Amino acid sequence: MQGTTLSRWTLSYFAVAVVFLLAAQALMALGVGYPSAALRAPQTLIVVHCVTVGWLSLLMCGALFQFVPVLLARPIYSNMLPLPALILIVAGLGALIAGFLQLAGALPWMPHCFIAAGILLGSGFAVVLWTLGRTFARAWPPNLPAQFVVVGLCAIAVTVTFGIVFALGYGGYLHSALLAKLRVHALPLHVIAGLGGWLTFTAFGVSHRLLAMFMLSPELDGPTTRWTLYLGTLALAIVVGAGTVAAATAGGLEIALSLAGLAGLACLALYGSDVVQLYRRRVRRVIELNSRMAAVALAHLAAAVLLIIACAALGGIARFSGALVFLVCFGWLTGLGLAKLYKIVAFVTWLECYGPVLGKTPTPRVQDLVVEPRAARWFWLYFAAVDFATLCLFTGTPLMFRAAAAFMTIATLGIAVELVRTRRLVNVKEALRLPSGAHAPRLLLTFVAH
Amino acid sequence: MSEWTGDDFLDPIREALRLVIDPELGYNIVDLGLVYEIDVDDGRIAHVTMTTTTRGCPATDYLRSGAHQAAASVTGIASADVTMTYDPPWTPRMMSPQAKEHFGIADD
Repeated sequence: MQGTTLSRWTLSYFAVAVVFLLAAQALMALGVGYPSAALRAPQTLIVVHCVTVGWLSLLMCGALFQFVPVLLARPIYSNMLPLPALILIVAGLGALIAGFLQLAGALPWMPHCFIAAGILLGSGFAVVLWTLGRTFARAWPPNLPAQFVVVGLCAIAVTVTFGIVFALGYGGYLHSALLAKLRVHALPLHVIAGLGGWLTFTAFGVSHRLLAMFMLSPELDGPTTRWTLYLGTLALAIVVGAGTVAAATAGGLEIALSLAGLAGLACLALYGSDVVQLYRRRVRRVIELNSRMAAVALAHLAAAVLLIIACAALGGIARFSGALVFLVCFGWLTGLGLAKLYKIVAFVTWLECYGPVLGKTPTPRVQDLVVEPRAARWFWLYFAAVDFATLCLFTGTPLMFRAAAAFMTIATLGIAVELVRTRRLVNVKEALRLPSGAHAPRLLLTFVAH
Repeated sequence: MSEWTGDDFLDPIREALRLVIDPELGYNIVDLGLVYEIDVDDGRIAHVTMTTTTRGCPATDYLRSGAHQAAASVTGIASADVTMTYDPPWTPRMMSPQAKEHFGIADD
């Protein structure tokens, strides 16, 4: 059956995600949150959740609805459930932001905002997990890249659970001593499970397959990849298991985090070695912009890891945690996200528009939907601004950081305009743009033939 | 009408299939080596066996449908039947010399 491999709501997820990214960057440029405010200040938490939930998590969910079927070679369990999930997550994030605004004194106190946030976000991610989980069930046991995604999905469940505990705490609903201790001590676990487990580990699995697919590299499923999976899973298990016990008993997290850190470092080193193999052994010598920019994002991940090691060795982890998390979020995850978004939007648009007329009439290539040299300028501006912003955070210059954030916003806006142009087929030569029988793509959702 | 054999249709079908491109590589499926076998039976039904560059490729259904459309459009062909296979899996070594040259791959 034609069209079953296209995800109907992925583009909607991407559009909402990009809006949240632009909003978060604009807020940083305006001086909202860290470094102008404290790391745990409500203003900072608004920006952080716009980035991690609104941008990165929605981007990842949208991408998974499209690419889990590719990883498993099975259709998605439901092409409709992603819509209520999106609505629930966005509504939950709205309630969470309203809650933080109350804590900041910008809104009158309404005690139910945080519990609404917990319920809505919890339900939204539960629908995501149900939809993807049922898809995995059709192809169980999953192949190696898909196993990374399974671990990532377990990590989002943990992350959201911790998040609900925190939301209940902020709303004044926590009367259990155990949960109250978790609320105070488990923030590092929430951050590591989210950024490390959900976002980074899932990105590892998806990138293994996408890099191989887009660069015509051999797919890797040898011992290096398997041990990347085992060690990363071990690191996350230590963080969640031992870390939760330590946090709940108000014990120190240092031992759990150190052990998890060692396993995590070994996992990252092995992943790095796999990525080098993928780039070195590629058949396609001239690679596209998305693969070049993914390499830049991977270099930022390597830089972040080296800086974390250096800060840990010098005892500066707590002092520089904001700068380190910023580098992971924007240099690595957002850099990779924007690079792959640039490719996926063009690919999905091609499938939607030209797939149905393939074999009937000449069609353009996916590459004809984009103008890479123009987009490349925005990507380089983006990475340069991120590097400068990171430097500002390490050197404690908040005003310069705001200028860098403004440039990040401009660059992201430039990339967003390129995505809209791709979706509108503006870059395709007129003679090939819309042959008879082709559907003009809609901006925010994908036409799926039945 | 003169006597015909299935082989008479192979070149026209191959030519028609060149209209179908792999969207990612932007090159036709014949020269990419994605078409493994073409056969025409006595009922003038074209049987095409083909693959995709990667298993689970989101373009699979469109490629199958496109190949079906192209093969069935050849004059004299009654209908077409397209089978997808991943045995053997596709490798870039299966490309034609022209395609290899296009992608800068050494011809071995």
